[in-house]
Amino acid sequence: MKIDNKSSGDVEIILPAGRLDAPSSEELQERMVGLIDGGCRKIVANFSGVEYISSSGLRVMLASLKRLRKAGGDLKLARLHPYVRETFEIAGFTQLFEIYDREEEAVGEFGRQDRPSQ
Amino acid sequence: MAAIIDSVLLTLIEKICVIVVAAYLITRTRSFSEILDGRLTAKNQAVMVLIFGAFSVFGTVSGVEVFGVVANVRDLGPVIGGLVGGPVVGLGASLIGGGYRFLQGGFTGLACSIATILAGSLAGLVYILNRRRFVGVVGAVILSALFESLHMLLVLLIAEPQTEAVLVVRATAGPMIVSNSVGAFIFALMTRNLIRERETALERDEYHSELEKKRLELKIAQEIQQSFLPDAVPRLQGFDLAATSLPAKEVGGDFYDFISITEGRTGLVIADVSGKSVPAALFMVLSRAMVRASASGERTAEEVAKIANDLIAADSKSGMFVTLFYAILDQEARTLRYVNAGHNPPLVLSGDTGDLTLLKTRGIAMGVMEDAEMEERKIKLSEGDVVVFYTDGVTEAVDYGLDQFGVERLVEIVRFNRHLSAADLVEKITGAVLAFSEGEPQFDDITLMVLKGERKNEGELRA
Repeated sequence: MKIDNKSSGDVEIILPAGRLDAPSSEELQERMVGLIDGGCRKIVANFSGVEYISSSGLRVMLASLKRLRKAGGDLKLARLHPYVRETFEIAGFTQLFEIYDREEEAVGEFGRQDRPSQ
Repeated sequence: MAAIIDSVLLTLIEKICVIVVAAYLITRTRSFSEILDGRLTAKNQAVMVLIFGAFSVFGTVSGVEVFGVVANVRDLGPVIGGLVGGPVVGLGASLIGGGYRFLQGGFTGLACSIATILAGSLAGLVYILNRRRFVGVVGAVILSALFESLHMLLVLLIAEPQTEAVLVVRATAGPMIVSNSVGAFIFALMTRNLIRERETALERDEYHSELEKKRLELKIAQEIQQSFLPDAVPRLQGFDLAATSLPAKEVGGDFYDFISITEGRTGLVIADVSGKSVPAALFMVLSRAMVRASASGERTAEEVAKIANDLIAADSKSGMFVTLFYAILDQEARTLRYVNAGHNPPLVLSGDTGDLTLLKTRGIAMGVMEDAEMEERKIKLSEGDVVVFYTDGVTEAVDYGLDQFGVERLVEIVRFNRHLSAADLVEKITGAVLAFSEGEPQFDDITLMVLKGERKNEGELRA
């Protein structure tokens, strides 16, 4: 699986591409663990290139979310294909993840949360 | 002079045939293999001392006489012994070969025996300096030539009268250096091949044991999963029930379960654990037990789901979760009270109209978080209605073009065949899924449960 990543300020954006099935989920898992171990706390997953996600893929996202929230960070999702969104919905994960239509919104949300509320 | 050298060289080369055979036999002994592996014991070193010592003696007796001096491959055994087996083998073998030569006497006797002992000892030293490894083919040939030159130098220095020594060296230096080097080349080549063979065999064995481990793991996971699936389907008054689970090669931890709660009330479970193989199978066992433990008594489906979720969440590490659909079937009231914890919504097809209802509720996969809200809903089942519970292995089965079987196809098959019995429907659906994905590996478990409201006359006919 091809997994690009880029940075926007202190937010890391990962862009997996292809089918997120059991084998490719392991690759994604390694990437996520690498980012989090490397000190990254704000991650946006841009799923515009993901047309399918299996339960293994959901597990990787959940494990990453749990680790990040525990460390005071977060994992936000952006640009989910309808089918992928449905998979998240069925599992009830839309209650758990913040999901945005656009990547910039997700990144911007991190910035908004950082500003102290007046 | 040239003719003599040629004949000496030819005769020595004849000996090479003998050396080839000897080298083959020696390198195939167990002691030699052990020494190659770096396992030096008193026994294998003693064996090698004797073999290479004997080979050295053979080198002397098989030598070719030139001007009363024997040109020979006496040094070969001790040198190879030392290069492969270290100083003990090198020195030991050279003492036998050199000692034998000394007893033969002659004006070069002392020089020659010292040369042999020196060659064996130096070869052993090279082994140590090379971090207890064989120096390789090129190294062995060069060293052999060097040791033989040293041998000649010693004859010139020690042997008396010196004029005769010069004659002897002139005649034998070339043939001896060449023949010993060629002998060393043969031995070294066989030794190197043996080392490579053993390395390849080791890699192959490791690869095989890795494969074997993986195969065993898959088998264990399948056995765990299969042993925790119900042996038989319960007979329910007024309902027809059937189920199956076809595990993928790498099992995905699917399961279904029937729980007898009270007379006339049965708990129905279908679930899919995230992940694969042994971890998934173990998590399946855990989840199944938690649901069973929670399902007793008068608890509602919602209560059962919440308790089971809290128990599972408390045990869930590394983000493992299970999507689970739990329903309580009341045979008398003909109702299904259900909770959907993140599972693919089961399908209900009306027996009369073929209309589709999806059994969705607000819920989240179990194990994700504690205190999760689990909504309970109720549906009334009429005669002829068909409920299809399934896991994503059914709808996400892919054909060669990676197209998915999909929910629509499943709905159509059920709608078209809703007159069939539950068991026949299960067979029909699995048959369709397997035909659809024919030739493609089964990526996920295919699990299916069908509940059908019996028509009055069907029940009566059967009764």
